[in-house]
Amino acid sequence: MRILVIEDNQTTSQYLEKALQEQGYEVDLADNGQDGLFLALEGDYQLIVLDRMLPKLDGLSVLSTLRNAGKQMPVLILSALDSVSERVKGLREGGDDYLTKPFALSELLIRIEILIQRTGGANDNTKNILQVADLKMDLLSHKVFRGLTEITLQPKEFKLLRYLMEHSGQVLSRSLLFEAVWDYQFDPQTNVIDVHMARLRKKVEFDGLSPLLETVRGMGYRMVENN
Amino acid sequence: MVWATEWWKTTKQASSVWRLTRLYTALLLLVVSVLLVVLYQLSIGQMSRQQSLQMDGFIMQQTQLSEQLSSSEFIKQFKNQSENSRQYILSYQTNSDLIGRLNAIPKNITTCPTLTRFPIWLDKYNELRLVSGCLQTLKEGAFVVAIDDEYLYTLKAQFISASIIALLLALLLGVITGVVFSVRVLKRINHINQAVSRVQSGQLSARIEVSKYDDEYDYMALHINTMLTQLEHSFETIAGITDAIAHDLRTPLGHLRQQIESEITEKSQQNLPTEQLQNMLEKLDEILFTFSAMLELTRLQQQKEQKIQHFKQLDLQKIIVDAVDLIEPLAEQKNQVLSIESLQSVLVKGDATLLFRVLYNLLENASKYAGEGAQIKVKMISSGFCISDNGPGISDSEKEKVFQRLYRIEKSRQIAGFGLGLTLVKAVVQLHDGQIQLLDNQPGLIVKVEF
Repeated sequence: MRILVIEDNQTTSQYLEKALQEQGYEVDLADNGQDGLFLALEGDYQLIVLDRMLPKLDGLSVLSTLRNAGKQMPVLILSALDSVSERVKGLREGGDDYLTKPFALSELLIRIEILIQRTGGANDNTKNILQVADLKMDLLSHKVFRGLTEITLQPKEFKLLRYLMEHSGQVLSRSLLFEAVWDYQFDPQTNVIDVHMARLRKKVEFDGLSPLLETVRGMGYRMVENN
Repeated sequence: MVWATEWWKTTKQASSVWRLTRLYTALLLLVVSVLLVVLYQLSIGQMSRQQSLQMDGFIMQQTQLSEQLSSSEFIKQFKNQSENSRQYILSYQTNSDLIGRLNAIPKNITTCPTLTRFPIWLDKYNELRLVSGCLQTLKEGAFVVAIDDEYLYTLKAQFISASIIALLLALLLGVITGVVFSVRVLKRINHINQAVSRVQSGQLSARIEVSKYDDEYDYMALHINTMLTQLEHSFETIAGITDAIAHDLRTPLGHLRQQIESEITEKSQQNLPTEQLQNMLEKLDEILFTFSAMLELTRLQQQKEQKIQHFKQLDLQKIIVDAVDLIEPLAEQKNQVLSIESLQSVLVKGDATLLFRVLYNLLENASKYAGEGAQIKVKMISSGFCISDNGPGISDSEKEKVFQRLYRIEKSRQIAGFGLGLTLVKAVVQLHDGQIQLLDNQPGLIVKVEF
């Protein structure tokens, strides 16, 4: 797995390189738009982390040139510009995700993993039934069973559980869960997602059944691995 | 007519122009009235004064004659006068008979010099005419002297109707001049007002149109425009400085965050305690959050036009339901009842995420400050929504202050918060050309938002 990081700030790119290498990725760095575009066109990368503002050639131009050349690898945009319109601009140019600086390294790693998994086809969208351990979700009838017991969920709880089950085994950050379920782009900053998770947990892990949802300190939540 | 009522409304509002019009019309009426009075006194007044002077002379003459002449001589003289006088109509009543032109002494006739009007048949005109006359008592009887002054009365009547027409014309002239004047002045003042209110609503680039007349309004417009240009420039400078500070501070703070994060990863790999580092990280995130929120506010207040370009037609109903869904478990934790009333479709042109944040902030505030077991209601109204609770509410003196940046009510300081939530709410509502009001629920608070 090779990842290209196009970022002009030395400190940030070094942290990214170190953190990504720890996760087992191979990392190439470029510190300006021109070099980044050259590497992206020539090399074979699973994912690109692209800064929005770069010397020589700015991030959005790199992205559109890349897409015009037919390169379809996922691109995660990093930007200090935090506004909905900026985000829309970035995603419209062909970006797959958008993260505002300063960001939590864990958040970035979570999102990179999700993007790679999405393109890797590990997530089969044609499936109508999701299953993790003895938890089953029927996407057509919107019914959820733990073993033989049916669990009644509210629409948002259903969406939340579905997202967790689709990404079982992965750590999902609070803001990622919020974006996926509520579809508004901002960080609610409070423990509101924790409260929703606690509620969901109560419904899914009733009667002392084995826990399925883990809290990962300082990062987010994870549904146990699907086996 | 519509135009006239419209003018009346705006003129009433613009009281200075209205006062000027009134003053101008009153002065015009006064001048015309004085002129008319002078004219009257010089013409008709002079004539009637002269007439009564002559009549007084005649009466005096006859009285003296009656005293000096014998009775028969006086009657002879009087008959002669009565037959030959062109001016006066005369009659002399003695104890036995009535000499002169009249058949009888008119009833209710006043004694001289007060005149009474009475009708009399005049052969000269072959018609009944009104004459003015009076009764003068003598030693041996009394005589009536009257004068045919109908022409004077006609003249007076004509003069009065002419005066009324003149005054009406003056009034009309006053009103028309006032209207024309006020419409022109108001139009120009309105140009200024419109531009100023655009600036007030955050569009600092608005300028007042300068006309070609080069008059005092143009000078005022030019001065205001220059002032606005300077103001806009200062704002840009401040925004530039804020952004520079933001960028300069956020980058090292971001690096600090990365450092702490990798430190935590390392320590947890070696199974060392990371508690303290986690706390540091949380504090740092609070600083970064406050910083981002302040920057965002600045942008919201300044880049109105830019934001409006991305506005879409939205249904508030969906946003309200989503926000209530999100907050509901928080309320449940505090045994609060959160309900939606009169759910209905309300279309607003705006930014979904920003409007969601308005609802999220308001509902979170309600849940946070209303206390254990409170009732929180979201009520949709035709142009917006109300959020009410039965908590402690906000005192009148603090209702405006809570919208200020970083302002926190003294008694709520122990509750976590940054004092930016309501500031953001107000900025977003203003961005959508809406209004936000804080009202009393007795007890509790009602937040009313209308678009």
